[in-house]
Amino acid sequence: MAVIQQEQALQAQPGERIREWLNQFGTVLVALVLIAIFSLTTDHFFTLQNAQNILRQIAIPAIVAIGMTMVILIGGIDLSVGSVVLFSSAAMNSLIFNGVLPTGPAIVAGILAAGLIGLINGVLIEKVKISPVIVTLGTMVAVRGLGQMILWINNSWLWVRGPIFSAIKADTWLSLPIPAVIMVALYVVAWVILTQTPFGRRIYAIGGNQRAAELCGVNTTRDKILVYVLCSLGAGIGGLLMSARLSAISPGVGQGLEFDAITAVILGGTSLAGGKGRVEKTIIGALIVGLILNYMTIKGISAHYQRAVTGFIILGAALLDQLSRARSES
Amino acid sequence: MADVSPPILEMRGITKRFPGILALDDVAFSANRGEIHSVIGQNGAGKSTLMKILAGDYAPTRGEILIDGKPVIIHNPREARQLGISIVYQELSLLGNLTVGENIFLGREPVRTLAIDDSHIVQNARGVLAQLGVDYIDVTQRLATLPLAQKQLVEIAKALSYKPRILILDEPTAALAPKEADNLFKILTRLKEQDIAIIYITHRLKEIIEHCDRGTILRNGRVVKTLNIERSTSEDTLIELMIGQEIESFFRHEDGHEQVSDQHALLRVENLSIGQRVQDVTFELRRGEVLGITGLLGAGQNLLARALYGIQPHVTGVILRDGKSIKIDSPQDAIMQGTCLLTENRKEEGLFLDMTVKENITIPSLRRFARSRLLPILANRRERNAAQEFISNVNIILRSPDAVMRTLSGGNQQKAILARWLLRNLEVLIFIEPTRGIDVGAKAEIYRYLDKLAKEGRGIIVVSPDLTEILGISDRILVMHEGRMVKEFSRRDASEERLLSAIQGATNNHKVGENIENGRHSAGASITGSAG
Repeated sequence: MAVIQQEQALQAQPGERIREWLNQFGTVLVALVLIAIFSLTTDHFFTLQNAQNILRQIAIPAIVAIGMTMVILIGGIDLSVGSVVLFSSAAMNSLIFNGVLPTGPAIVAGILAAGLIGLINGVLIEKVKISPVIVTLGTMVAVRGLGQMILWINNSWLWVRGPIFSAIKADTWLSLPIPAVIMVALYVVAWVILTQTPFGRRIYAIGGNQRAAELCGVNTTRDKILVYVLCSLGAGIGGLLMSARLSAISPGVGQGLEFDAITAVILGGTSLAGGKGRVEKTIIGALIVGLILNYMTIKGISAHYQRAVTGFIILGAALLDQLSRARSES
Repeated sequence: MADVSPPILEMRGITKRFPGILALDDVAFSANRGEIHSVIGQNGAGKSTLMKILAGDYAPTRGEILIDGKPVIIHNPREARQLGISIVYQELSLLGNLTVGENIFLGREPVRTLAIDDSHIVQNARGVLAQLGVDYIDVTQRLATLPLAQKQLVEIAKALSYKPRILILDEPTAALAPKEADNLFKILTRLKEQDIAIIYITHRLKEIIEHCDRGTILRNGRVVKTLNIERSTSEDTLIELMIGQEIESFFRHEDGHEQVSDQHALLRVENLSIGQRVQDVTFELRRGEVLGITGLLGAGQNLLARALYGIQPHVTGVILRDGKSIKIDSPQDAIMQGTCLLTENRKEEGLFLDMTVKENITIPSLRRFARSRLLPILANRRERNAAQEFISNVNIILRSPDAVMRTLSGGNQQKAILARWLLRNLEVLIFIEPTRGIDVGAKAEIYRYLDKLAKEGRGIIVVSPDLTEILGISDRILVMHEGRMVKEFSRRDASEERLLSAIQGATNNHKVGENIENGRHSAGASITGSAG
């Protein structure tokens, strides 16, 4: 009898298979359907120019969402990324503006400074054992303050100067805007880390069952701190792209970016409970948000409505996540 | 003769089938007003299942339950309480942050115009505790501040607050010191006089003989016998009924393993203590042997195993590996020193349910599959092949190594964890209840594996309360009682009967002086013996 049960368990039901396929490609399907609808209902949507626009728009949230995916995979959250974007762009441009460092080293310094914020987040969460929401809510405010301090020292604004920034802003490679190229490259790196390295495997293990990971000899504290550092480094790179996109850094830069990133992650199907999700789907999540916002802009819908729409997208995606979790556990 | 009022509780033909296992088979059980009726049996005999059916936690597959002669159906714990059935479980169900009174009336706090009526709680709680004859517990105190024995009393008070006519106690004395247990029996006697039927589960046979009126003995899900218990009833009678004839051939070896006599033991533990719960334990694990450690629930054997893997705080003492003193403060340390632990909580402490079987197996060995040290990219094919090799080694039944762990049966999951540590290739393997909750076929396979590993010259420690299992697989058996190592048996000397009396903490005069292989152990035995 036991054998019969086992054999039944070995065969997937047909309904199960459809569900699995939807799980796998559902987000891609949604993106394709949106593209189709938007292309049919407007004249200016399906053009190279607009595609480049969309890619430029989504590059920053999509890059920030890479680190966010990893943080959510280990069962955490990082609300500070938007502020880190401001901080790193303010830091690097202040160094350049005041002639402390040449452009290249200044950019590296700005990104590393962002990594330091991640280290602080990670240590407070993992060593001091404060909840990630509280810690990163704190650093969200504190780091924005730091960034604004830097701006204030420099007369409240920082002009962005340098050939690197203008190249990122204007150049394309095979018709792809440079920010999109950087975005794709970073996603490839993240995919390799998460699926092809021991560290990536450990991230899934920690998110799936932290206690079991510890008992398998995984140094969960070190790995989790490293994830927060990577997340902030990603936001630091976001700061670089943000500098390139804007001609000046102002105190409000990066505000709300944490939610755009979280939305992309959830739309990509990563479980908020941790342990389940794929980074290559996060980019689709970011694309879906980008498509909707772009469409609304083309249709002339005000930015205030756009904010509300993203909010409802988060709620809807979180609802779907909860429903699928409830089903898989029953 | 004329006055044949029905017993307060009668269970007829109770059968409970779980997937792959028949937990209860046509069980008949009854309880009268004003008696203490003990349910006796080894682990897995079906005692807890029977009680859970009575408490509304499980529905029986077949059979009927009569209260006062009237058939009833108990769908859930709430209905059980309405019928006057209250249960005190082994694990405390209390909340440390609440007061004693709040705990007792949790979920049905008396309300006065929307707010909880605190003074009423205090009064009622005092009343319930007074019924137990306990006046020394302050009901406004936070529960966390009480010692364990008093928490246990609060748990009983909580059960009593439902005004039960049938009170079930599932190993209430496991965590209590002898004096506290005596006190509990005074209380039970008082309840008995109030015409409450008390159903009492324990592994301590002495308690049964001293305090119970009747006993029903279960073995493998069937009732062996229901008998009246007198002062003159001997423990041996009960033990014989509990054991019956066991099939020894289920287990592996006839003569035990040849032990490699090295200068140093593979692992030596000296004077290991864990707070007050494990005291001064000394033993050795040799190469090529299976060392069984057993004892009653809470005797300290599980904590001891955890201490050896670095996941138990407050450990003092010395651990020597091949004669060299080592420090084990974390699983990483333990693994570095060649030790692994498979705990009894597979789901919580072992499995990654949403990861593939392959990933579950290779997780502690990932470094081995990195293509290079500088660029740690996994060599996928090598990893997969290694996982596949150990999957076939331990005979896991699955579609592919990429099957998700969640889809496997309990037995296959346990084998996967075994494969994980076999791949890591360590010398000391510690198992806590290696066959808990898995079916008979997988059990036999795991026993075969333990045997094979020992033959390869590794050291195996198996911690289990299942005496049949311990007897079947061990070369040597250590018995713990109340935190101390009290006896050591060689394979030849051990029998189920002797083990049973040893885990009860029996003094030497029960079976005069036998099997005591060194003086330290006998000293330990007499100390705990006189306390119990």
